[in-house]
Amino acid sequence: MSEERKVPKRGISTYCFYPQLGVNMDLEDIFMHMQDMGATGLEILADGIIPGYPYPSEEWLNKWFGLIKKYDIVPVEYGHWVESRLYPGQREASLEESLEQLIRDIKLAHYLGFTCMRTKLGVISETLDPVSNWREIIHEALPYAEAFNVVMQPEIHAPTKLTDRMVNDYVEFIEKENTKYFGFNIDFGVFQNKPVPEMARFFREDRVSKPEDIIPLLPYVHCCHAKYYNMSADFEETTIPYREVIQIMIEHGWDGYLLSEYEGPHKEDINHCIEQVRRHHVFMKKILGQ
Amino acid sequence: MLEYEGVQYKGFRNIYNEEGEATGFQVGIRMIGYRGAWLSEFRFGYIEVDGEKFLADRCTFVVSGVEYTYEETFNLGRVKWPLNEAMIVRVQKPGGLAQGSHTVSALYGQVASYVPFGSGELDINQKPGGHGHSESFGYTREMIIV
Amino acid sequence: MSTSQKPGIHRGVSTYCWYPLYNVNMTLEDSFEIMKDMGAHGLEILADGIIEGYPYPSKEWLNKWFSLCDRYEIVPVEYGHWVESKLYRGRELNVEESLEQLIHDIKLASYMGFTCMRTKLGVIDDKLTPTKIWRDFIRRALPYAEKYNVVMQPEIHWPTRLTDQMILDYVEFIEKEQTQYFGFNIDFGVFTTDATGMGMPPGMELNPSKPEDIIPLLPYVHCCHAKYYNMDENFEETTIPYREVVQIMKDHNWNGYLLSEYEGPHKEDYNHCMTQVKRHHVMLKRILGE
Repeated sequence: MSEERKVPKRGISTYCFYPQLGVNMDLEDIFMHMQDMGATGLEILADGIIPGYPYPSEEWLNKWFGLIKKYDIVPVEYGHWVESRLYPGQREASLEESLEQLIRDIKLAHYLGFTCMRTKLGVISETLDPVSNWREIIHEALPYAEAFNVVMQPEIHAPTKLTDRMVNDYVEFIEKENTKYFGFNIDFGVFQNKPVPEMARFFREDRVSKPEDIIPLLPYVHCCHAKYYNMSADFEETTIPYREVIQIMIEHGWDGYLLSEYEGPHKEDINHCIEQVRRHHVFMKKILGQ
Repeated sequence: MLEYEGVQYKGFRNIYNEEGEATGFQVGIRMIGYRGAWLSEFRFGYIEVDGEKFLADRCTFVVSGVEYTYEETFNLGRVKWPLNEAMIVRVQKPGGLAQGSHTVSALYGQVASYVPFGSGELDINQKPGGHGHSESFGYTREMIIV
Repeated sequence: MSTSQKPGIHRGVSTYCWYPLYNVNMTLEDSFEIMKDMGAHGLEILADGIIEGYPYPSKEWLNKWFSLCDRYEIVPVEYGHWVESKLYRGRELNVEESLEQLIHDIKLASYMGFTCMRTKLGVIDDKLTPTKIWRDFIRRALPYAEKYNVVMQPEIHWPTRLTDQMILDYVEFIEKEQTQYFGFNIDFGVFTTDATGMGMPPGMELNPSKPEDIIPLLPYVHCCHAKYYNMDENFEETTIPYREVVQIMKDHNWNGYLLSEYEGPHKEDYNHCMTQVKRHHVMLKRILGE
């Protein structure tokens, strides 16, 4: 039996359309676009997608499973937040308060069929250092993640660099705990090496990671935010060195999901967002040789 | 939900058989109007992609999940294409459409008993855009096959 | 809902105001919310596009309908429907087939709480003369209209004039049948003096009816389409002599609903439609002295 070449899989995050949901599109509309594009992997931002979150109705859950089946969707990543400033005056939530939220989301993510979580921790600095008790919180949550088989993943997002201390701390933690239930979602924005004209003020020239910086992290990465800011008419992302990054992933046999995440301008324009995501998937199919 | 445009972007993709070969493509259309159409009052001109026209004999029409040939719709005065639903037109084209951008037009319409003109078939030479014999809709949209 | 009990002229809205926007970026409930904002309680629906599953709505949808009407204090006034004469290729619908459609709509309109119907008949010429068999099926429908207490009303719409033979034929029919269950919806477009924004086909003359032409018809009019093409920033309709028409209606102690019906340009623009309908109700309130 010949071994099949391992390549990344394609998916999208509901983030691509976030200001449109409930205005002129709904979750099913996103699933239709995914089916058109052959992009099966899904990230949801749980809070905005699940009506009644965190306590969805039985009726909605039935609808969810029906739609997943109808459109052949693979639930990949469940985006959630561990709120550290939930109450006025609070700077960091207690271990118990944080754990309560986290366990609730682990169970719900699992029930909905997700295998990863984008676990957003509260931060305490401009460079997005997580709350000081993050190790305790995650340590206590690990048995639940294991029992419910979902991987918690902080998102590594610009202006964080892949070589930052924070990332080292996470790796150290993973190795010390010897766990597969904590990892990373690398947001491709960390590789952005050209500014988007309309958004130049957000670009930090001193905070660009090199494509090869991802190599030592790949064993801990279960899915990525395939961030795009500007897909050109000839189907190229103009600000991020996609080809290099994906080539490295293929060489290292990484076969997780690349989840489209549009963070460019004109998110208020539904047709612009649709065109950008279609271009993005033409682009990724080409790179992946599909 | 619907997109505002007459030609719907979502649903635009190639159709494959069990062997994985593309046998055609599909595209959704909707009435930008105030009533749906009894299928017997539905009128179809064509789907046109990059200048190539596909007439009714190469299309089937899916309403609420059920697929019809154009001839089958003629006697269906009790089946409605609901206003709040896109109709999916499935078009036979061996090999499907190429990956990339396409200019897609659709000409279709609905007989309206309460307006004085027309109740016949649409003129397949009519350009999408203006009004035709019945309450006709013709729209064009640039769309990408992934 | 005491307003509906009082005699006089009341305000309402037709869902026609927003027709291309339903299920794109608004729902029926959104219309109700806007009506409540404006204190406009009377409602016309275009049954076909508004009732999910028309002509066979589910019990679930009907429950939702009653609940929404109650919550937003909606008075179902007019049920817009069509008697399709050109349903099949090559022949006109016969009396029995027409009657079948009509009776179904009478029953459904009544069940949903409507007291009038905008009964659109098939036409045979440019003056919108109805099909020859109209008397036959309307006569046979009258006992149903009476039993279910809904008034069938053709809409008198430009280019028809209020003094046309067709109107005389209708009046003659009403008097001969001695019925209160057949009448008129006068569309204010018949009074339009300025074709700007009307999209008048070339070769057609405007030839408007005079406001006083409505006087002999008022006893047969149960509600009107308060048509507007252009509401300006001073809250005036610039193409229709509203003040004169409404003054005449007041002077003749007409009771019923004026149902806003926007037929001007830019119906694709949600914000434009919103501004126009709000301006229209500011104008109506001022004219009605509310």
